[in-house]
Amino acid sequence: MKRLKFTKNLCIGCGLCAQMCSANKEEKVWPKRARIFIETSYDDGKLVYHDHYCTLCGICVKSCPEEAITLNGYLQVDPEKCTGCGVCAEKCPKKVIRIREDLAIMCDTCEGDPTCVKVCPQHALRFE
Amino acid sequence: MITIKILLRGTLPKYWAGEKERTIEIPEGTTCHEALKSQGIDYEKIPRFGFVAVNGMRVMIHQELKDGDELKAYSKVSGG
Amino acid sequence: MTMLGYQNKVLRLQMTEGRSSTEPLRMDFAEKYIGQKGLAIRYLYEELPPGVDALGPENKLLFTTGPFTGTGVPCSGKLSVAAKSPATGTINDCSIGGHAANTIKYAGYDMIIVEGQAEKPSIVIIEDEKVTFEDAGELWGMGAHEAEKRLQDRFGREYVFLVIGPAGENMVPMSCINSDYYRQAGRGGIGAVMGSKKVKAIGIKGTGGLSVADIKALKDKVIKYQQEDVHQDDNNFVFDAGTTAFLEACQDGGILPKRNFSDATDEKWTEYNGDVLLSKLAGKRGCGSCGLGCGNFIQWEDAIVEGPEYESIAVAGPNADVSNPYDILKFNQVADDMGLDTISAGDVLIWAMEMTEKGIHDFGIRFGEADKMREYLKLMAHKEGVGADLAMGVRAASDKYGGQEFAMHVKGLEYPQYEPRGSWGMAMAYATSDRGACHMRAYAPNEEVFAASIPPYTAEGKGQMVYSLAEFNAVKFSVCICDFWATVTYDIMADLLTTVTGKEWAPDDMGEVGRRVINIARAFNQREGFDRKDDTVPPRIVKEALASGPASGQMIPREAFDDMLNQYYDVMGWDENGRMPEDLIKSLL
Repeated sequence: MKRLKFTKNLCIGCGLCAQMCSANKEEKVWPKRARIFIETSYDDGKLVYHDHYCTLCGICVKSCPEEAITLNGYLQVDPEKCTGCGVCAEKCPKKVIRIREDLAIMCDTCEGDPTCVKVCPQHALRFE
Repeated sequence: MITIKILLRGTLPKYWAGEKERTIEIPEGTTCHEALKSQGIDYEKIPRFGFVAVNGMRVMIHQELKDGDELKAYSKVSGG
Repeated sequence: MTMLGYQNKVLRLQMTEGRSSTEPLRMDFAEKYIGQKGLAIRYLYEELPPGVDALGPENKLLFTTGPFTGTGVPCSGKLSVAAKSPATGTINDCSIGGHAANTIKYAGYDMIIVEGQAEKPSIVIIEDEKVTFEDAGELWGMGAHEAEKRLQDRFGREYVFLVIGPAGENMVPMSCINSDYYRQAGRGGIGAVMGSKKVKAIGIKGTGGLSVADIKALKDKVIKYQQEDVHQDDNNFVFDAGTTAFLEACQDGGILPKRNFSDATDEKWTEYNGDVLLSKLAGKRGCGSCGLGCGNFIQWEDAIVEGPEYESIAVAGPNADVSNPYDILKFNQVADDMGLDTISAGDVLIWAMEMTEKGIHDFGIRFGEADKMREYLKLMAHKEGVGADLAMGVRAASDKYGGQEFAMHVKGLEYPQYEPRGSWGMAMAYATSDRGACHMRAYAPNEEVFAASIPPYTAEGKGQMVYSLAEFNAVKFSVCICDFWATVTYDIMADLLTTVTGKEWAPDDMGEVGRRVINIARAFNQREGFDRKDDTVPPRIVKEALASGPASGQMIPREAFDDMLNQYYDVMGWDENGRMPEDLIKSLL
């Protein structure tokens, strides 16, 4: 199964991943509403990487009390079953999942054709 | 015949599959333009060709080369 | 029409009363000037009466985005920072990288206008539509790096900060505004304007989004242009080497300045070149929405800086007769922390070195004295001791002490690090640039020196050459696209503008906007009394010949310089005094 892979030293902290993710999934360019959040920052004379992207670890699938999440190459949330309880978001080790209007929003790798990988300038993000 | 060394800078090494340095033999009186063209680098066909320097000094592209010269070719740069 | 991509909202910070207000964006200005540089200058032309004191409450400091900002168009993440310059009295628009531009847009604003003058040192915190004014407290007096760190610790990483150092607080006319620690709005004393309003920092958090005309097409085009155009060697060399790549080209091209522009090559250039500096590379960084990543994060013992850029390397290196890479990095770091423009601060220091060595006036610093350079930066930032005179720039200092022959500036803005005797059109580009000697308006070396067959040592054709370069950058920095997407074209700009805004933009429109932007800047200056007499060249350039390199023996004869100016005025439709006719000015408004 292909997953997102991230190479730190190729990341320039541009945020295009989140910007284009939101362009693909939302009605506006709205990086705060993306399904990937990768940034870099300076702290105490060091360059720090904050890489929040879905690794398809499957913890959300296992922890959902309503069994609303399935994984078949990519994650899918059944809106009929999801109550927006937030357990998946809490358990997600990469802190990617968000709850909006009682629904879990998570990365589906654009159904196996991730937009973030296509736009990443130095190919820090790969899908393999 | 004379011997010169060619060095490529900037994006030009892509025309030599990444190679940056060559030593070649050319007839006396060959110009920088002709020497480069003989090695697959024709400034007239490369939009972002920059300039040439001989022995560390920029010269015009049609300057003639002498034995032992080091010819450096650059692509364009921008900004500051 | 209301174009999309804009938030259609301007935030005004009235510092005198400590309150803020919002208003719609002047869409009529945006239709003619698009955004960033052009839009900021048009606003300043409208809102500043002529003769305003640049350090007084009537000057306005504009932080201006453009339609591409925040949309994901590659290399669009720069922010225009503009005001009337306290160094020159001209219009001054700077460009700062980092993440402030995108954040301001996501907070809901196209532009932030800072007006008036606070009673006490202040900070302004903007969280989307919430604006708070606070006392700067102990932040006032701190170095820019420490101040930004304190703010980051207090408010968190979601905020971006625009910060001044002690130099800006003390209204030094070569002080800058920092962001992300190592990015600057550098020149013309822009930091002094912020300091005169007693604003130590502006913090912005933006959690919103923005609408564009065709979001799916935008996504496809961003990916297409990034993969097919941005990501090619001709642009991507900045990821590999940053602007250190210019050093060898300038050395071989004979335009690398040495010892206060006394010469134009440095045989020691391999001691501080890109290979050496990048040996301590600790990471790469780009701005928001960057498609390349030019920032080199270097850690060399205690010299930590994202940089140094070519300008800083050249002014603190060969132009100061220094060749130790640690010294160059440390100069950059101290200048950033003090909040000083490396170009101007470096230039005044090397002028002071020449003054001391020639015995005209003893400033107590000589060529090669790198330690003293760092010490003097701190004195200049605080206007203390010998720093008090030097902080005012080479024009003021040479008016007072002599040495005007080699005070390298135009209109009071110090010379960038490209020797014009090796690139004659550059002398005219420096002379006619809207804010004083600047290399980012028309980058002449790219055509004259880094080109195979255009002769650099002649005046012929330079008017048109400089104009074409100036037009391109003027519109490029108004849409805006960063300089380092070198291969971008008017076609690409127009295509993306149409996709984002919903208004039909044609490639020819881009050239028209570029010309208009040059003209509105000139109109601002003309209203302040500037004309041909101010489009100058330092005496050194027309009187002294270079000694080494391909340009050895070259100086620019006065007649050649005048010829280039005449050509340029002709191309622009200005009269022989460089003045714009009334009807041309009216057509801009």
